[in-house]
Amino acid sequence: MKLLAILAFAAAAFAQQAPSALPKIKFTDTRLENGLRVIVSEDHYAPVYAIAVAYKVGSKDERRGRTGFAHLFEHMMFKGSENVGMGELDFLIYTNGGNSNGTTNTDRTSYYEVLPKNQLDLGLYLEADRMRGLVITQENLENQRQAVKEERRLSGDNMAYGNTSEKLEELVYDNFAYHHSVIGSMEDLDAASVDDVKQFFKTYYAPNNAVLALVGDLDTKDTLAKVRKYFGNIPRQTPPVPADLTEPAKEGERRGKLADPLARLTRLDIAYRIPPSSTPDAHALAAAAQILGGGGGGGFGGRGGGGAGNNSRLYLKLVQEKELVTNVSCNTDRRVGPGTFHISATLRPGKTTAEVEGLIGEEVARLYSEPVTAKELARVMINVRRGAESRLTALSRAQALADAAAVFDDPNKVNTDSDLQLAVTAADIQRAAKAYLVTANRVVFVTNPAGGARQGGRRGGQ
Amino acid sequence: MKTSLAVVRFGGAGAFACQLFFSLLGSGAAFAQEPAANSFRGMVRLNRAPVSNEVLKVKLPRPVEKTLSNGLRLVILESHRAPTIALTISVPSSSLRDGALPGLSEATAAMMMLGTTTKTARQISEALADIGATVTFGNGGGGGGRGGGAAAPTGGASTITVNSLTENFDASLAIMSDVLLHASFPADEFEKWKTRERSQLEQARTQPNTLSNETLMAVLYPNDARRFTRLTLESLNKITRENLIEHYQKYYVPAGELAGISGDIAPAAAVAKLEKAIGAWKGGPVEKIALPMAPPIAEKKVYLVSRPGSVQTSLTLANRAIERTNPDYIACMVMNQVLGSGPAARLFRIIREEKGYTYGVSSSYTATRYLQHFSSAMSVRTEVTEPALTDLLKEFKEIRDVTVPKEELDGAKRTLVASFALGLENPAQVLQRWMQQREFGLPEDYWDTYSEKIMAITAADVMRVAKKYVPYDNVQIIAVGDGDKIRDLLKKFGPVEEKAVE
Repeated sequence: MKLLAILAFAAAAFAQQAPSALPKIKFTDTRLENGLRVIVSEDHYAPVYAIAVAYKVGSKDERRGRTGFAHLFEHMMFKGSENVGMGELDFLIYTNGGNSNGTTNTDRTSYYEVLPKNQLDLGLYLEADRMRGLVITQENLENQRQAVKEERRLSGDNMAYGNTSEKLEELVYDNFAYHHSVIGSMEDLDAASVDDVKQFFKTYYAPNNAVLALVGDLDTKDTLAKVRKYFGNIPRQTPPVPADLTEPAKEGERRGKLADPLARLTRLDIAYRIPPSSTPDAHALAAAAQILGGGGGGGFGGRGGGGAGNNSRLYLKLVQEKELVTNVSCNTDRRVGPGTFHISATLRPGKTTAEVEGLIGEEVARLYSEPVTAKELARVMINVRRGAESRLTALSRAQALADAAAVFDDPNKVNTDSDLQLAVTAADIQRAAKAYLVTANRVVFVTNPAGGARQGGRRGGQ
Repeated sequence: MKTSLAVVRFGGAGAFACQLFFSLLGSGAAFAQEPAANSFRGMVRLNRAPVSNEVLKVKLPRPVEKTLSNGLRLVILESHRAPTIALTISVPSSSLRDGALPGLSEATAAMMMLGTTTKTARQISEALADIGATVTFGNGGGGGGRGGGAAAPTGGASTITVNSLTENFDASLAIMSDVLLHASFPADEFEKWKTRERSQLEQARTQPNTLSNETLMAVLYPNDARRFTRLTLESLNKITRENLIEHYQKYYVPAGELAGISGDIAPAAAVAKLEKAIGAWKGGPVEKIALPMAPPIAEKKVYLVSRPGSVQTSLTLANRAIERTNPDYIACMVMNQVLGSGPAARLFRIIREEKGYTYGVSSSYTATRYLQHFSSAMSVRTEVTEPALTDLLKEFKEIRDVTVPKEELDGAKRTLVASFALGLENPAQVLQRWMQQREFGLPEDYWDTYSEKIMAITAADVMRVAKKYVPYDNVQIIAVGDGDKIRDLLKKFGPVEEKAVE
C-alpha cells in the first residue's frame, strides 16, 4: 500500500518561551493513506515496547439514552475479532510476557499493550484485527453489560461519595456531551443493543479516526513497514460528526445536595467551569489549583500535582489553622472542551458547610486580589519538572503521545505543555482567576450522610 | 486525566516484574505459528496471530552492596536513565511491636514529619516543596501508610523513602536525616493529628475494603498483633506523646534492616552521602519478632459484616497458606497464574468474562515475613451472591481435582518467564527483587535461575500444591454486604458468624 508520509521530527516550536531544560520526547508522525496517524518514538533502554491506540470517541459522543456506551463498547473490544478468539487476546498478550488494558474518558477511548520487543508483530496484529472488525454476539454483550454495571456499583453506587462527582458534573455542564458521566446510567446500559455496538464500531472505529503510538526498543523504519503491512488495508470510513461541546455562559451560582446513605461525614464540593485545557488560561488555573489545594491532573503521563498538598493555602487554613476539615483538595482536569476547577473538602463532625464555604471563598478571592508569591510559583514549576523527568516507561510515553494526537490533534503537546506551564506568571494566575473563579460561574454541592443511627458522624468524639 | 473521569477495563493491572543483559532462548525462526491447540474453558483459540516463539531471556543487573559505619546494609543499583534518585531505608518499627496500643507504630510514623528540634512541620514540608522532593515515613510494607486497606501493614518493618532530582539529593537527605535523628513530636501537632485521625477512622468505616481486610486479618491471625490492621479509636484515645517517643527511640534504629538506593548515583557517592547524612545514626539491637506461621484453619466458616444499604457483597475467600522460603512457593506461583492472576487466568475468564458476576476477581498468595495466606476477592451485586460464591468455589475445586491442560500450564509458565523483560524498565523494581532475595535469605542466584525453576513445574506439581494451598473444605469466607439480604444464603456455605461494624 502507498502512504502519505509526513515525517516530521518534533522540534521546539515554541519560540516565545525561553527554552527549558526539560527532557523532550522525539518521535516521527506519519499518516497512512487510510487516515491512520502513526507515531513512533525509539527508546532503547529496555528490551520492551508499548503500543497505544487511541480512538477519537469518548462519552462526549454518546447520544441521549445511551450514556455509558463508549465505555461498554471498550469492553467489547476484548471479546474477539475475525482472527482472534474470545479471551485469546489477553491470553496471547499475557503468556508472551506482556500486559494490556483499555480506558475510556470523556474525550477518547484508548487501548494498550506492553510486550517484550520480539513480539512487535503480535501487538500490531492484534490491534489491527480488532480495528478491522469485531465478532459481536448477544451473549458477549450481556456478560460485559453485567461487568460494567458491577464496575459502576464498585466505584459509585456502593461507595461513600460514589455518586457525588456524577451529580456535580450535571450541574457544571449544560451541554449533554459533558453533562452525563462516563460510566453512564444503569437504565441506559440496559438499553444498549447489538445493533448499537455494530453501528458505533462502523462510525468511530475507523483508521481515520484513530492514532497509533509505538514507543520503545524499536527501529522506526522497520516498525512503520510493519504498521503498513497490518493496518494499511483497513478501509477508511466517513468521518464522524464532531460533538458540539460549546456551553452557554452560566448565569448564576448553582447549588445542589445529595443524601448519601453510605457516607458518615459531610463533604463540600465547589466547582467552576473553566476554558479547555489547551488554553493559556487553563494552564494558569492549573497552577492556581496547585497553590490553592495541591493540584493534580498533571501533564501527559506526568505524576500529577505531586504530594505538595500539605503546603497549599486551603490545607494550611482549613486543616491546620481552623481544624474544620479532615482533608481538602483542588485540581483541574484535562479536556478538549470546557474543563472544571474543582475544590473538595470533607468536614469534621460538628462543623458547618457555611463556615468552610466562606473560608474557601475568601481564599479563592485572594487569588485575584493579590499575586501569588514567587516561592509558591517556584514550587509549581519544580513540580512541572519532576513530572517531565518521571515520564519514563514506554507505556506512559505511548499513551501520552496517542492522547495528545487523538484529543488535541498535536502529539508534540507532550513536549510543549510543560514549557507552557513553566511560562505561567503570577499576573496570568490573577487574571485567569478573576475571569473564571467567580460566584456566577460556581457550583456548590453538599453530600450529607443519610440513613441509620450509625451515621451522622457524632461518634468521632471531639 | 483526572482519575474520576476515566474508566478502565479492569483494575489492578500491575505489570509483573525486572536490563541490559539478555539473550534469546530458543532459536532463529521467528513467527512460527503455534501448533493448532484445543481451546479451553472461557477461551476460544484460533491460533492465527503471529507469535515469536523466542522468549527474551533476561538477566537482572546486580546491585552493589556496602555496609555503612553504623552497620546499615545499603544495596545500590546505579541507573542514569533520569536525573533522579530513590532511597528506601527500613527500620524495625512495626505494627507487630505495637504491644497494648494498636496503631502505635502508625501514629509514630505519621508524626515523624511534623516537627524536629529545630524545624516546624510547616518548615519541613515547605523546604521539600521548594526542591520538589518527597520524604515519607511509612508504617508497614510497600508504599507506606495503610495502602488503602488492601495491603496489610505487616512486613515487619517501617519504611523511610526519599525521592528527588539528583541536584537536590543532598538537600533532601539533610531534611530526612534531621527528621530521623531529631524528631520532636510536638504536643500541639499531636493533638491536631489525633483530631484528624478520629474523622479518618470514621471515614474508613464506610469502605467495604477496610471492613473486609480487618476481618480477614482477625480471622487468619486471631492471637497476636497481626490481627490489627490499623489504629483503633480506643487506642487513639490512649496513645500519649511519651509512647511515641519511646517507640521512636527503640525502633527507629539501624538494626538489621536493609536500605536500597537506585537511580542517578554511583556506589561510592551513595556511601559517602549517606555516611555524611546518617553516619551518626546509631542504636539497636532490637529483639527479633517471633511469630511463626500457624497451620491452615481446619474448619470451614463464614463471617458476615453487615453494611446496610450495600448494593454489592464484597467476598473474600482465604486461609493461611505458605511461606516465601517454602520450596513449593514457585509451584504455587505457577498454579495461581492458571487460577487467578491477571485477565488470562480462569477466575477472570469464567467469573467475570463468562458469567458477568463482577468487575474484578483474582487470587493471590501473601508471603511476607509474618503473613502467609491465600486470598481471593470479588465484589458482586447482592442478587448474585450465591451463584457467584458457588462458581468461585467450583474453580477452587477444579484446580485441586482436575489436571491442568498442557497448553494452559505452558501459558502460565511462559507468562511468568517472559514478563521478566518488562520489569527492566524500572530500576527501583529490579532493586526490589534483590532486596527480597536478601530479606528472605534466598540463594544468590535465585533470580538468575528463576526461569529454569518455573519451567520445571509439572501438571502434577500444580495439582499437588493446589490441594495443599488452595482452601476448599476449610475455606474461610468473609462477606461484607447487606446482612438482611444475604444472611440466610450464606448459611449454605458454612456456619455463619456475624460481626458488627463499629
